[in-house]
Amino acid sequence: MVPREKLVADMEKMFGQGKVLKSELERYTYTYDSSFASQSNEYYPDVVVCLNSTAEVSQLMKYAWENEVPVTPRGAGSGQTGGSVAINGGIVLDLSGWKDIVEVDDANMQVVVRPGIIHAELNQELAKYGLFFPPDPGSSVFCTIGGMVSNNASGLRAVKYGATFQYVLGLEVVLPNGEIIRTGGLKSKALKSVSGLDLTRLYCGSEGTLGVITEIRLKLLPKPQSRGIMLALFEKLEDSALTVLDVFKAGIIPSGIEILDDGGIRCANMFKPDLNIPEVEAAIFFEINGTKPAVEEEGRQVLAIAQKRAKSVEWATDAERMAKLWQGRAVIGAASARLVPGKTRIFAGEDVCFPISRVPEALRRIKELSKQFNIPVVIYGHIGDGNMHTAPIMDPLIEDEVERTHKLAEAIHNLALELNGSTTGEHGVGFARAPYMEAEHGKALDVMWAIKKAIDPKGIMNPGKIWALGRE
Amino acid sequence: MQATYRIDFTEELKKCVKCGTCRSHCPLFVEIKGEPGSPRGRLALIKRLHEGKIKPSQELANIVYTCLLCKKCAVECPSGVISDEIIIAARDYLNGAMSQPLIKKALLKGFLTRPSLLYACMSLTALYQKTGMHSLLTKSKLIELLPEKINACAKIMPDVTKKPARSRIPAVTLPKGEKKFKVAYFIGCATNFIYPEVPVAGVKVLSHNGCEVVAVEGVKCCGMPHMAYGETETASELAKHNMEILLKDDYDAIICDCASCSSTFKEAYIHLFQEGTKEYEMAQKLQAKTYDISRFLISKTGIKAGDKTVEPDQKIKVTYHDPCHLKRGQNVFKEPRELLKSIPGIEFAEMKDADRCCGSAGSFSIMHHDLSMKVLDKKIANALKVNPEYVATSCPTCTMQLSYGLRKAGSGAKVVHPVQILAETYM
Repeated sequence: MVPREKLVADMEKMFGQGKVLKSELERYTYTYDSSFASQSNEYYPDVVVCLNSTAEVSQLMKYAWENEVPVTPRGAGSGQTGGSVAINGGIVLDLSGWKDIVEVDDANMQVVVRPGIIHAELNQELAKYGLFFPPDPGSSVFCTIGGMVSNNASGLRAVKYGATFQYVLGLEVVLPNGEIIRTGGLKSKALKSVSGLDLTRLYCGSEGTLGVITEIRLKLLPKPQSRGIMLALFEKLEDSALTVLDVFKAGIIPSGIEILDDGGIRCANMFKPDLNIPEVEAAIFFEINGTKPAVEEEGRQVLAIAQKRAKSVEWATDAERMAKLWQGRAVIGAASARLVPGKTRIFAGEDVCFPISRVPEALRRIKELSKQFNIPVVIYGHIGDGNMHTAPIMDPLIEDEVERTHKLAEAIHNLALELNGSTTGEHGVGFARAPYMEAEHGKALDVMWAIKKAIDPKGIMNPGKIWALGRE
Repeated sequence: MQATYRIDFTEELKKCVKCGTCRSHCPLFVEIKGEPGSPRGRLALIKRLHEGKIKPSQELANIVYTCLLCKKCAVECPSGVISDEIIIAARDYLNGAMSQPLIKKALLKGFLTRPSLLYACMSLTALYQKTGMHSLLTKSKLIELLPEKINACAKIMPDVTKKPARSRIPAVTLPKGEKKFKVAYFIGCATNFIYPEVPVAGVKVLSHNGCEVVAVEGVKCCGMPHMAYGETETASELAKHNMEILLKDDYDAIICDCASCSSTFKEAYIHLFQEGTKEYEMAQKLQAKTYDISRFLISKTGIKAGDKTVEPDQKIKVTYHDPCHLKRGQNVFKEPRELLKSIPGIEFAEMKDADRCCGSAGSFSIMHHDLSMKVLDKKIANALKVNPEYVATSCPTCTMQLSYGLRKAGSGAKVVHPVQILAETYM
C-alpha cells in the first residue's frame, strides 16, 4: 500500500489540486452515507478524488492497479448500506459532479448519461421529449443514476416498470486495471440484444466491486399522457395488504402501490401539514397512469375494490394534490425522523422484500418484532412488490437502544429469509448486509466471488462490499 | 458546545439522518462540488466539533462560513433539521473559540453598533463616489489592482447617499384619510444609507393606506450581520437596545421594508435570550408585532393604489425576486406579488426559480465573490428571460446584488422595492 502522503501527492500530480480532497475534515465527510453502519464507524478514505472524464478514471484505475490501492466509487452518498464508504481505506472516487447528459436519442427512445446526473434532473430534461426513465426512487431529487445502476435501485413504480436493470442497455466501464470496455455492444443502439454474456446485467447491482461505471445508455419509455392517485385509508393494517392482492386479481397493475402505516401517516402530516391524512392504521397510495380514459376506468375499478375494505378513499387527478401526495410518500424515509421528539430514525434493515402473498403476515410480524425489542418502527414502502421499508425510531445516543435496534434489524433481515423473501429489495448489500449473503445465496455466493476474482483479481474495487472483508 | 445563539446542538444534530436531500437544494453545493461543500457535510463537521472530536480551526471556519444561510436546505429537509440555525450557532461558537481579525471586530462591534460612526463611514464612502474617485478607478481598471475583497465591494456597492432616509422622513407622518393603525417604521442600515427612497416610499404608502407612521429614532442595526458572523453577544446587546425602543410605545405593528431586519425580529431575537427572562418576553412581543411591509398592507390595511399610472399609455413589466429571509424566513411570498398586481399599469411576470437565492447573503458576495457571482448569474439569466423593466425585491442586499448582476449583463432593468412602484401612484 502506498503511504498516504505519497498517494495524495500522486493524485494531485495526476489530476491537479482542485480535484483532490485530502484534509482530515474533508475526508471525514466521506466516511458516511445514510446507513447507521457507516455512521457508527469512522472509515476514512486516504484521499478523495473528484473526476469527470473517462480518461481520468482510467488513469486513476491504472495507478490503483499498479499500486494495489482500493478504490470506492461514490455518487451522492445517499445509499443506505455503506456501499460508497471506503471501509478498507484507499481512494474514494467522487463522480457526483459528472452530470452530463451526453445524448438524448428520442427517435430510438434512449439516453446516454454520465454517472453523476441526478435522477429527477434527468427526467426533467427527458420530459421535454415526451419520454421518461421509469424507475422512481424516493431519493429521486438527490440520487445519481450511477448510484442507481450500481445498486440496481427501483422505487415507487417498480410494481409496473421494474428495477433499473430493465432499462440499462449498455455501459462504459473502466476495469480495475484501467482498461475501458463497453457492454451491450460497441456501437449498439438496439433496444434488445442477446449477443454474448449479459455483462450489462452483471454490472447492474455490482456496487462498484467490478469496475467504475463511467457512461450509461438507458432505455426510455413514452411519458404517460395521464395520471391519477388514489389514497385509500384502512383501519386494519392487514386489510391494506389484502386490498393490494385484490387489485392484482382484478387484472390491474397500477404504476405504483405504496403504503404508509400509522407512524408513517403521522410523519407525512408533520412534514407536509396540508396533506392532512387522517390517522388510521394504514394508507395506500395507488398511482394509475396511461391514456386519460384508461386512467379513469382503472381508477374507477380500483376505487370499487378499495371501498370494500377501506374506511375512506380519495381519488386525485389535480396536479398539485397529486404532487403533494406523491412527494409526501416519497420523502417519508427521512421524514420518519420527526415521529418522536428527541429520537431519530436510522437506516438499518430497511428494505427487506417479501413475496406479495406473505406481505400481510410480514406486516404483522414486523409490528410484533417492534414490540418485542421495544423500538417503534415506521413501515412504509412498495407494498405492490412486497418491498417494505422499516424505519426504527430510536436515540442513537442511548447505548441500550442502539443494541436493541441492531437486534431488531437482524430479526427483520432473518424474517425476510424465513418468509422466502430477500434481505434487500433495492438498496443493495454494501457492508451492512454482507453478513446475510451466505444465508441468502448459499453456494451461489462462491460463484459470485469467482466472477469478482476473475475481473478484479487484486481485490481493489470497493473491498468489503457484498462479500465481507477477509474473504478469500 | 455552547453558543449565545441558543439551540440544543445535541438534539438538533441528532435529527440529521444524512439522507443527502440537502445536496440538491443548496445553491452553493451545485457550484462547489465535493461533500464538504454540502449542507450535510457542514452539519457532519459541526456535529464532530460538538462531540469534541475535532478542534476549532480556520479550515473548519471556512467550511462553516461557506453558506448563504438561505434556509433552502432547512425547509426542504424531510427530517426537520434547522441547518441554517445550526450554522449560525456554530459560527457563534467558533467566534468565541478562535481569535478574530481586527477588521471584522471593527466593522461589527464598531461601525455597525454606533450609528454616528456608521454615518461617518458612509459619508466618506459617498465622498469617494461623488468626487469621481470611484469612476476613475473603474474606468482606468485600476480597481482590479485593489485587494480582492475591496475590489468586490467597490464593484457591487451602489452610490451611498449623503442624505440618509432618517433625515428625509418626519418623526411622525399622519394618515391620509381615516386612521386605522399607528405603526412604527424601522429603518434598517442599508435602506437608510443606500436606498433611502425605499423607506420614504414605504412611509408614503402606509400613510395613504390609513396609517400614522412613526419613524422610530435611536434604533441601531438589527444585528443580523453580527449573527451571520458569529458575533452573537453584540447582536444580543443590539436586540436589547432595539426592543426597548420599539416596544416602549404601544404600536399596532412594527413595519420593516428589509427582509433581513424583519426576519431578525421575527425569528432570531428569540434565540438570543433564556426562556423566562424579561428579554425573552420582549422578543416574543416583538416577534408578534413585526410585519414585512407587504404583508401588513395586504393582510391588515388593504391596498388602495393611487390614481397616477406609473408609465402613462404603457404597461410596465415587473418580475419579483423572493428574498430568502422573506420567503423561507417568514413565508411571505404571495403578498409582494399581490401588492405589485394591485398597481394599475403593471404587468406581472413570474421568473423561473424566483425564490432561489441571488448569492448576496449580506456580505457573502464580497467575502466569497466568485462563488456568489456563479449563483447570481443563474438568477439574472432567469430574470432576463421574462424581459422585465423592473425587478422588484424586498431586501436591500438582494437589490445591490441584482443591480450589479443586471449591470454586468448589460440590462437596463431597474431593481426596486415593490412599495416604490406603488408609491408612484399617489399624487
